[in-house]
Amino acid sequence: MKDLANDFPILEQKVYGKRLVYLDNAATTQKPNSVIDTISDYYRTDNSNIHRGAHYLSEVSSERYEEARKKVSDFIGARNSSEVTFTSGTTGSINQVARSLGPSLRGKEVLVTGVEHHSNIVPWQLAGATVNAIPMDEDCNLLIDSMEITNKTKLIAIAHVSNVLGCVNEIKEITEIAKDHDIPVLVDAAQSIQHLPLDVKDIGCDFLAFSGHKMYASTGVGVLYTSDRFSDITPAIGGGGMIDRVSLDKTTYLDPPLRFEAGTPDIAGAISISAAIDHMQKIGMDKIKKHEQEVYSYSRDRLLEMDNVTVYGNTNEMCGAISFNLDNIHHYDTGLILDKMGVAVRTGHHCAQPLMGSLGIEGTVRASFALYNTKEDVDMLIEGIEKVEMMYK
Amino acid sequence: MNDAIQNEIIEEFDGLEWFDKYSLLISFGKKLKPMDEEFKTEDNSISGCQSKVWVRSYNKDGKLSFDLDSDAMITKGIIALVAKVVNDRYPQEILNADLYFIDKIGLKSNLSPARSNGLESIINRIKEVATNEANSNDLKN
Ligand SMILES: Cc1ncc(COP(=O)(O)O)c(C=O)c1O
Repeated sequence: MKDLANDFPILEQKVYGKRLVYLDNAATTQKPNSVIDTISDYYRTDNSNIHRGAHYLSEVSSERYEEARKKVSDFIGARNSSEVTFTSGTTGSINQVARSLGPSLRGKEVLVTGVEHHSNIVPWQLAGATVNAIPMDEDCNLLIDSMEITNKTKLIAIAHVSNVLGCVNEIKEITEIAKDHDIPVLVDAAQSIQHLPLDVKDIGCDFLAFSGHKMYASTGVGVLYTSDRFSDITPAIGGGGMIDRVSLDKTTYLDPPLRFEAGTPDIAGAISISAAIDHMQKIGMDKIKKHEQEVYSYSRDRLLEMDNVTVYGNTNEMCGAISFNLDNIHHYDTGLILDKMGVAVRTGHHCAQPLMGSLGIEGTVRASFALYNTKEDVDMLIEGIEKVEMMYK
Repeated sequence: MNDAIQNEIIEEFDGLEWFDKYSLLISFGKKLKPMDEEFKTEDNSISGCQSKVWVRSYNKDGKLSFDLDSDAMITKGIIALVAKVVNDRYPQEILNADLYFIDKIGLKSNLSPARSNGLESIINRIKEVATNEANSNDLKN
């Protein structure tokens, strides 16, 4: 599987004279040649606004954009591609739902988990809802039996995979309970879409959000899946391209997907997601999952072996990110020194301050993996950590 | 003003590999006297840094000195150097100071913009204190 990195030109470079070991994939992934070429080819040969002009190029770009929608729809197992809208990213998707559902959330409760990214907390607060977390144990396993749904609970919004710890939450168990109470569920799939095969029908969620840039596509574009059940919700954003008829007295809207896509979207970005899906599917999601599991388990084993390292979180299934700290050494110091060894990690609170609060820490060092990472990359990380420890002796 | 101190620092770092630079910073950090916990308040802390930084200032006979601390050792090493350069100076001297040593010892280019913003906020805070002192001195005179 080592050759997988060959498709990613950025990984060929050296930093500070060392081979770049890129372990900041939860922040953003690198892009394969096929995605880079797709974006530049689009601007070279197909660029035009979509759904508007009655001319050749507009036809071409509209078709490519709609093909991208279909590709995403199949990739996540949606019943209908009208359930897929392109947004600016996970943050954009979640805010869009928060605005659409806003009136029904005000003064009510949104249930989240204790590992959420701020972008699955703040939009609900802005909508006027109280945000409460489903309890979890010390290892960050959700205690689903202790989840309290009351008549104030109007939505459950949960991360599929923690961007800090890599814990995979048992979202299916939650959607089943939610169904009994007729409460909609939003899944933040920003950290799962690139690692695990997903099927929204199987998950049973009503909304699913993810970002293009964390799945090998470009920045500034993302996806919001909205189940048909919610096809008539009020659009969050108004403007061109989403209306049926406009008058100064009354405006009516189109049906989804266009209903939720006001203004000119990131056309090249949407097409880049399609190219990224092609890239992943060419390898095979199951194969990606298996390879990444091997690298992930190896990193976990190696880190746990070390005497002076604390690894956070421990759930049945884990993928993507792993967070740790060295005893008595600040995460920032660790990150600075690893950087100089060519190992790119992220340090800090990772936009998950409530989780840092429950762990009783200020921040962590986070290594996060993608399909191109190998056990050798993990070895470089461990070597780096040993160097950090040496410097503090 | 304190160019001699800055030049001394630059000389000390001259030609060092990053490993030795960081080791040196860590040793400076370890030597910096820790601030008493009671002074590590919200008011004394600086935001915009990846690590926590606290700043206190003293005025002794019109000259300013700074007590700095951080929870990260490399940051502590850097602020130890900053303190060495700015301490025991008149406010106006601090305001006029050009802290060129940071760039010269390769810290500025080694730190990403976000990180050097952190350092920048520390220097801004120091200058802010100096400005306030300079103004209140003006009032007294
Ligand atoms: C779990 C999770 N949710 C949401 C986001 C926000 O994604 P974006 O910044 O692409 O909108 C991230 C990104 O770090 C994430 O990891």
